[in-house]
Amino acid sequence: MGEWPIVKGDYQIGDKESRIGIVTLASHFELKQEELKKVAIIGSCKTENLGAEKIITNTVSNPNIRFILLCGNESRGHLSGHTLKALHANGIDENGKIIGSEGAIPFIENIPENAIARFQRQVQIIDRIGETNLDSILQIAEEYSKRGEPYPEPPLVVQTVKRKKRRKTIPISMAKDIMISGNVVLDSSSGVIEICSGSKKSKK
Amino acid sequence: MFRFQKEQEIVDIAGVKIGGQPGELPTVLAGTVFYPNHTIVKDEDKGTFDKRKAESLINMQVTSAEETGNPCMVHIFASSKSSIKKYIDFVSEITEAPFLIDSIESSVRMEGIRYVTEIGLADRAINNSINMGITDDEKNTLKDSDVTASIVMGFNAMDSSLEGRIALLENGGNVAEKGLLQIAEDCGISKILIDPSVTPIGNGAGIALRMTLVAKAKWGHPVGSGIHNAPLSWDWLRNKKKEDVMIYKTCDIGSIGLQLIAAGDFVLYGPIESAPYAFPMAAMADIMIAEAAADFEVIPSEDHPINRLI
Repeated sequence: MGEWPIVKGDYQIGDKESRIGIVTLASHFELKQEELKKVAIIGSCKTENLGAEKIITNTVSNPNIRFILLCGNESRGHLSGHTLKALHANGIDENGKIIGSEGAIPFIENIPENAIARFQRQVQIIDRIGETNLDSILQIAEEYSKRGEPYPEPPLVVQTVKRKKRRKTIPISMAKDIMISGNVVLDSSSGVIEICSGSKKSKK
Repeated sequence: MFRFQKEQEIVDIAGVKIGGQPGELPTVLAGTVFYPNHTIVKDEDKGTFDKRKAESLINMQVTSAEETGNPCMVHIFASSKSSIKKYIDFVSEITEAPFLIDSIESSVRMEGIRYVTEIGLADRAINNSINMGITDDEKNTLKDSDVTASIVMGFNAMDSSLEGRIALLENGGNVAEKGLLQIAEDCGISKILIDPSVTPIGNGAGIALRMTLVAKAKWGHPVGSGIHNAPLSWDWLRNKKKEDVMIYKTCDIGSIGLQLIAAGDFVLYGPIESAPYAFPMAAMADIMIAEAAADFEVIPSEDHPINRLI
């Protein structure tokens, strides 16, 4: 396995060979080194869109993780725990909406469908939403940390849709809707600054 | 500096003017009270809090506003139907400033909207916000209310590009049947404040700055954001904060300047405790922008920081 986790976030890394990852939703726990040995990763997930995407990206890139424990307090309004369960159970529709989620804005934008399908196949969800007792959480981690085998496929490193989009350029329309000085104008859509009196153009 | 070809709307909410050409009006700043984990809150469900400290914080913001000339608003964040009413009662008694009604939960926002209508404070309230997740219940609540001001959020969870955010406001893009601006008008919102949506750093935070320019150029509505969410969401910076809190604070307050140089009209600067730092930052940026825009025949308002602090 290459560099893992793939995306940064509010988490602690334990033993990447462990079978369990813990999502503490809106709660935050700081594990001691000894406790961290039981888990591959533990961290919060407060949002039902970007947060859920990070969970998937860091899960499918580590085949050792076979269980995701959802615990801690639910993220109010966002319902990130409920959304992760819905995503795992139902996936997304043709518009990227997480089927069955009642979170505020439950959409997946930046990861491809094959990563979601892999997430569904690779892990089981252990639903303990609302559990905030760290001893109970660690007991579950202990129980599952060595259970079963790694997922029998290589890590899936998500090439985010976002990165592909960054390479796109937009057509230059030159609507010239912002005046910078008498003869220098800016097209707000393209970001191009133009000198009106000549044909010379320069990028902002 | 620059000037928009499109006429720039100025909205008046309870005497606070927001919008205009760069350099015309001072930036309006809103500090947040009762936010998650705010130490003055005792019980977020019941809405109990330390009233003495809350009053002190709100007054501190007013003092900063009076000193620099940047008007203030109070950004009320609530977690329950019960607490939103208590917070509105309290804030509206302490200050005459406009206030934003905000919650992650739409049911709480709706309760706030109904409540200000019931008690006759709708002209001081700003709904935060109309976004891509708006429900029919929310639309109907806004329609039936006396609230006429709302933030319209450019967050497009399906397409966070500039084009995606603009499309969401203009025609609904790929996520809604109608543009959010049209939905706002349908809901009786005549004072539209556009928030380009500051997504986390690394997920398009910077796009919000360019969208500020585009939205003002395209529609002329006032535009602003909660740009402090960019440094707040930056994992690297969070770790640096453990070394020296000033590193974080510098980025937090400095981000206000970024929004203003990109023609922002208002900023939700985060915890109200930051008022003594946020207002001078905004005032400095406003003064420099006004100086730079002077030969556009933009005349700064009487209370503009350039007329108060220079």
